[in-house]
Amino acid sequence: MGKNRSGEMPTTGKSQKLKIISSVWLGKAMMALTRLLGRGGTTLPGRAALRLYPGLLPYLAGHLRHGSLLVTGTNGKTTTAALLTGILRKAGYRCIYNQSGSNMAWGVTSSLIGASSWGGKLPGDLAVMEVDEGAFPALVKSLHPRGMVLTNIFSDQLDRYGEIDAIQKAIGKGLEAAGEGSFQVINADDPSLAGIEGGSRGERWYFGLELELAPERSENEAGHSQPCPRCRQKLHYDQRFLAHLGRYRCPACGFKRPAPDVKLVGCSTRRGATALELLVRGEPLRTLFPLIGTYNLYNALAAATAAAAMGVPAAEIKTGLESAAPSFGRMERLALKGRSVLMALVKNAAGANAVLPTVQEQQPEIHLLAAINDKIADGTDVSWLWDVDFERLAAVAERIKGLTVTGLRVWDLAVRLKYAGLAQETIRVETNFKQAFLDALERTPPGATLFVMPNYTAMLALRRLLNDMGARQPYWEGA
Amino acid sequence: MRDSPTGRELKIARINIYHLYPEHLNLNGDRGNILALCERARWHGLAVNLVPVQPGETIDFGACDLLFMGGGGDAEQNMAAAELKKRRRDMQQAIEAGMVILATGGSYQLFGHYYTTLRGERMPGLELMDLYTEAGGKRLTGNIVVSCGLWDPPRTLVGFENHAGRTCLGKGVQPLGRVLHGHGNNGSDKTEGAVYRHAIGSYMHGPLLPKNPWLTDYLLAKALAYRGQTFTFKELDQSFEEQAHQTAVRLAGSRLHRWHARRA
Repeated sequence: MGKNRSGEMPTTGKSQKLKIISSVWLGKAMMALTRLLGRGGTTLPGRAALRLYPGLLPYLAGHLRHGSLLVTGTNGKTTTAALLTGILRKAGYRCIYNQSGSNMAWGVTSSLIGASSWGGKLPGDLAVMEVDEGAFPALVKSLHPRGMVLTNIFSDQLDRYGEIDAIQKAIGKGLEAAGEGSFQVINADDPSLAGIEGGSRGERWYFGLELELAPERSENEAGHSQPCPRCRQKLHYDQRFLAHLGRYRCPACGFKRPAPDVKLVGCSTRRGATALELLVRGEPLRTLFPLIGTYNLYNALAAATAAAAMGVPAAEIKTGLESAAPSFGRMERLALKGRSVLMALVKNAAGANAVLPTVQEQQPEIHLLAAINDKIADGTDVSWLWDVDFERLAAVAERIKGLTVTGLRVWDLAVRLKYAGLAQETIRVETNFKQAFLDALERTPPGATLFVMPNYTAMLALRRLLNDMGARQPYWEGA
Repeated sequence: MRDSPTGRELKIARINIYHLYPEHLNLNGDRGNILALCERARWHGLAVNLVPVQPGETIDFGACDLLFMGGGGDAEQNMAAAELKKRRRDMQQAIEAGMVILATGGSYQLFGHYYTTLRGERMPGLELMDLYTEAGGKRLTGNIVVSCGLWDPPRTLVGFENHAGRTCLGKGVQPLGRVLHGHGNNGSDKTEGAVYRHAIGSYMHGPLLPKNPWLTDYLLAKALAYRGQTFTFKELDQSFEEQAHQTAVRLAGSRLHRWHARRA
């Protein structure tokens, strides 16, 4: 493990200094090279630099006066980290943030090398890092973060056998490894997170929803159940907000949702934004938040709670949230050819299920384009499409005036929609991605909204296309 | 228009589908199989009675025509094993009598003699099928295509596999298919899945049936035959399903995909 503890200025010998500088240079050179080759590889430079000098990560982090904050969990990492960075910058921190989206240990190293000077100094006093659950324990050990933010655990990637257990263990190990005086921000509504023991040394902040009604109706919750993390019996839900997130208790062993320190007590959606009413350890906070969807409620809460744990006053959390730009690719609205394009990235079933209620609400007509690829970055298994409640679309079929599907697995998607109860002849299958988008846009009347649901690589392709076509971001741009 | 033919036609063919622990045994979109069975039955004009079996409830083998069991995590799988062990004899009798079963992933492994973990622990199975499973180090993952002899000439089945267990078949069962692309039961003997009477086990998880509509119809037909019901299936438009099937065949055969599958 690293020889230097974060928070202390590292003391280094001459030969060590040489190694540090050369590993930073190597990393930077490789970054330039991969960029030149157009590969955008974000892990290789970090990997090479760590090979040369394994203590590089703690050394670089040692310069951060206020330490680092790690954000981990299945969904919402990027949005939460981006929101948190926004709030902290408003509060006066010089905040570094790994925006590249590569959140494995090597990727985190790469982004720190990218941000550092050629002499190996970081130009900030605090780093917010989005990290993969698997890389979490190792990164906690080498970075000694000041705070850890846990968003949620969902079955997500390819391999879901025993996955939740493994993630819980990894996160528990990370919490154990954290030092004195660190804090943890945990989603109280997620039983698989609240049930994680360990890390008792740090202060624990819980966040959760305390709403009379779930923000969106969720009809099909089958397949979203998780057993009690303590005794494995079936959990009882007094209220469900999103999939397995809710107010739960275990009738067998008495395990129940912990009382949140930061809670959302009110929310209403209007015109692509959400009015939030929070209680931060009893102190009220009202804000207009530029994102919609239940997921983003949790993301906003996680960011606000982490900021509160950092000691940021409520008024600054409010302005930070209000000026937050949606992070890369999550729900965003663009203007193109007189139409409004509302794009929501869906990486997995849980993500798609969070977006569909918003699609359902589109008035008076629904125009939808869905694009599913199966490249390595997406996950090559598209089975998750069958865990998505596309039946919601069938329920509003009379309002759907345009439904186009595309992507490398377009036929899987088409079959899924057919079995969800949508008439085969209403599903337009277009294998050519660009043509599909142009057709869908053409069929959307001017002034109306085209809702676009792509998965990851489909979104990348779509963004390139939108850029080429000169799409503008009408709201919250430049915040 | 005299008596019996009309009488029989008026009687709607009915099928009882039991779904074991729909909330717990549902990794990787296993629910797609139930949707396929129910929707296609409906399109064919069959009446379907879908019975979800929750933990603590028992399966009525007197009424069940077709039982579906998806895959689950270790905890869920153990729960299913404990429950079914109590019903082993009823289940065996039903299988011998011709009840239809489709079991995927972990549920398929459960049907065998035992499952040996990497640490060497031997977990006894239900012993309903002549097969056993041993955990392997590397997971066998990727798109898979098999040639299935349930039809003559054989037809292809496509799916996605992701399993650490290596299953070996005994003499008492037939493989569901011969692997054309992918890993199959154990990655070495080119077999995939197992068939005994009308019970089918397979590593092809999640939505196996939607992309193999002929297998869906096969299961429905066998379930009707089990209760002595005669029924003529309709010709359904299955162009979407066939396109999805062909896409999977192409992908599994592509060099890039095979390269990734080897590295997984």
